[in-house]
Amino acid sequence: MIAALTYVPRRTPMGRAGALAASAYLGAFVAVAFAFSHPVVLAADALAVVLAGLLAGTGRALAVSARFALWLGVLMIVTNAIASQRGETVLVRGPDLPVLGTVDVTAEAIAEGGILALRVAIVIAAFAVFTAAVDPDRVLRLLRPIARRSALTATLVVRLVPLAAADHARLRDGAALRGPAAAPVSRSSLVRRLVAGSLDRSVDAAAALELRGYAGTAPGRARKLPRSPVDAGFWFAAAAVWGLAAVCVGAGAVTYESYPGIELGLDPLGVALVLALPALAAIPHLVGGARR
Amino acid sequence: MSGTVVDFSRFSYRYPGAAAPSLRDVDLRVADGEFVVLAGRSAAGKSTLLRAACGLVPHFHGGEAAGSASVCGLDLSENGPAELHGAVGLVAQDPETQVVAATVRGELELPLEIAGEPAASRARAVEEASLALGIAHLLGRSTQTLSGGELQRVALASALVGRPRLVLLDEPTSQLDPVAGDELIGLLRRLNEEWGTTIILAEHRLERCLAAADRVVAMAEGRIAFDGEPAAYLDWALDSDAALATPLARLFDGAGMRPAPVSVKVARARLAGASSGSPASADLVAHSASNSALARKGEGEALRVKRLWVELDHGEGPHEVIRDLSLRIEPGEVVALMGRNGAGKSTLLRGIAGLADARKGKADAPAGWALVPQAPGDLLVREQVGDELPGPEGQAALAAVGLAGAVDADPRDLSGGERQRLALAIAMAGRAEGAMPGLICLDEPTRGMDTARKHELAGRLADLARMGSAVLVATHDVEFAATFAERVVLMGEGEVLADGTAEEILSGGWYFATEVARALGAGGPITPERGAELLRERAAAGER
Repeated sequence: MIAALTYVPRRTPMGRAGALAASAYLGAFVAVAFAFSHPVVLAADALAVVLAGLLAGTGRALAVSARFALWLGVLMIVTNAIASQRGETVLVRGPDLPVLGTVDVTAEAIAEGGILALRVAIVIAAFAVFTAAVDPDRVLRLLRPIARRSALTATLVVRLVPLAAADHARLRDGAALRGPAAAPVSRSSLVRRLVAGSLDRSVDAAAALELRGYAGTAPGRARKLPRSPVDAGFWFAAAAVWGLAAVCVGAGAVTYESYPGIELGLDPLGVALVLALPALAAIPHLVGGARR
Repeated sequence: MSGTVVDFSRFSYRYPGAAAPSLRDVDLRVADGEFVVLAGRSAAGKSTLLRAACGLVPHFHGGEAAGSASVCGLDLSENGPAELHGAVGLVAQDPETQVVAATVRGELELPLEIAGEPAASRARAVEEASLALGIAHLLGRSTQTLSGGELQRVALASALVGRPRLVLLDEPTSQLDPVAGDELIGLLRRLNEEWGTTIILAEHRLERCLAAADRVVAMAEGRIAFDGEPAAYLDWALDSDAALATPLARLFDGAGMRPAPVSVKVARARLAGASSGSPASADLVAHSASNSALARKGEGEALRVKRLWVELDHGEGPHEVIRDLSLRIEPGEVVALMGRNGAGKSTLLRGIAGLADARKGKADAPAGWALVPQAPGDLLVREQVGDELPGPEGQAALAAVGLAGAVDADPRDLSGGERQRLALAIAMAGRAEGAMPGLICLDEPTRGMDTARKHELAGRLADLARMGSAVLVATHDVEFAATFAERVVLMGEGEVLADGTAEEILSGGWYFATEVARALGAGGPITPERGAELLRERAAAGER
């Protein structure tokens, strides 16, 4: 079984789009997640990324990232609720602890943790869609003439991730094949074995890159790839999201404060942003699908 | 272009931290356009020599080198793989770590792009290499979704796409079925003849490639033990280490018909000349029908597969890998599971072990099963043998594979054969009432093995069968199957295409037939020993 985050060529519009156009498109939704803290805007942004992922045919990658983001989100909310002692609405009056003092849990701290968790979930989901739908060779090809050493490192990492995933799958199968009287395989021994194997793998992969001439001659000029007919839709959506977000930030159309009390503000321009995000996420896929 | 491509003079090399050198005083000169086969037992130094010829040794791996070496006119003391990359292509043993791009097209384009080739020439080179290797249909695929055989062909295409002057190959047929293996050797010969590419090919299955070679270099303990023409090599091997000789050579040697022929064609001509008729006569067939599995019927069941369907999804939608397959194996049977790459052999074994879910039907091993995967190391996770198998049941499993005395050893210090036995013990431990489960499965156990170790493994499989277990081995290696199997199940497209005795299945065909069977030209004898016995009987009858 191929790891859900592994890139697989797809016939969907995003699978056919250029790496730069797809990166700008997904990057726009990540930028929105960092530019705004209003939960409604973040929810719309999350919906947009999920739509983009589903229309790109990366539902499994989204599911995996959602599971990971859920655990991370719960951890972030709990940590923020305990660590942040700001906020007016005390929900739980906590005990006095030697170093931390009185640990109160406030509604504002929980809300702030939730905002952080949602923001991280959007970034993880966008990264998952990017990893599963955008050809890493094309991305590295874009990077190579600009930052050669970084491209080499990235190539190695890009190659090692699926190799480690395949090794992990094999070791997991190996653990399942052990007889009942053999010593059980703990998670730590599996990880230790995987790390030891990964070092060998990385040496072999680095040797393969050496043999391709990566370390020697100056890199050839990046091939000018023919522009995909679906690129225009992704560029349009990216530009519209970036533009609308910039206007909203400039006009102060979306406001949110967690502390000391939760304050939300969404004027008509902000509402337009909320409505536009999912629509703009869908447009390049629908236009690209119709064009095929 | 003419001249010397590889020039090693008293070249020695020791890996960092190694107790002994891997190459010792190697003197080797390879001329432009030669096709050289590198022979030798496991750990003889073949892979290290190939790594030296592409500059990885010592530039990438470090260690100590002595003597002089130059490749394509570049002194290896000053030039490494980066300088050699346009002139030398390497196909390593494990293609999985050699493929670095996400798609097949990207993989083939990468070296050309780095070399700064213009777009049109890149596109043409990718097209030609993919057509030559039969992988044009894979160009758009993710490299993650390829089978082992497909990956090996992609790795080879990637090494060839820049049309290097020298191509080095380290056991390139180890993951290929007999058809693909023969095609690959044919392709290498064509590249050598038509493009003038110099080929150095390290291989254990010499029967596949000897006829294509101009020259054989045999290595032993890091030194060159023999360097000469293929026919002379066979004579040398028969005299010094018969495990390095081809089955055909052992057949002729056993029948007292030296010198040994290099190819099946020469063997057939010699046999036809030696007698009035072809040796492929009815008496040979009659002699062979001895240990039929049919005689065993009705002795219980070690494996019962009933109308099994298995689907797999490699990210491009589910597809059927096993289709309505039924199979029955009895206790004590030794069965080879054969078929081309992608036929469904490994999936069937995984289905038996419960690692692949059945969509319909079921596979059942009533007296327990054990499966050793392609890489036995996947079962080894601890630092002492005894820690892998604690308790009396673990000790019993170790004793069953002859490793009771190795409990304190580190699995990494064991030989390849011992590691395989340890993996078998781990897979078996506690699977049955006694030490032995009813069914023992091995998936491609001979990858990277020399002939001597294959014979050792065949003996071990026979021992397991004598202890009452049925043995099912998925293998591409026809010669190996002939040494251990009494029954062969031939799969294709997820179905059983043929199921019969080894003598029936491994003779009379073009690809799934042993070299001996092809030389003798008819159903019947498939091993050199049996063939030689029959030839001697025939000669004696002729004299009478």
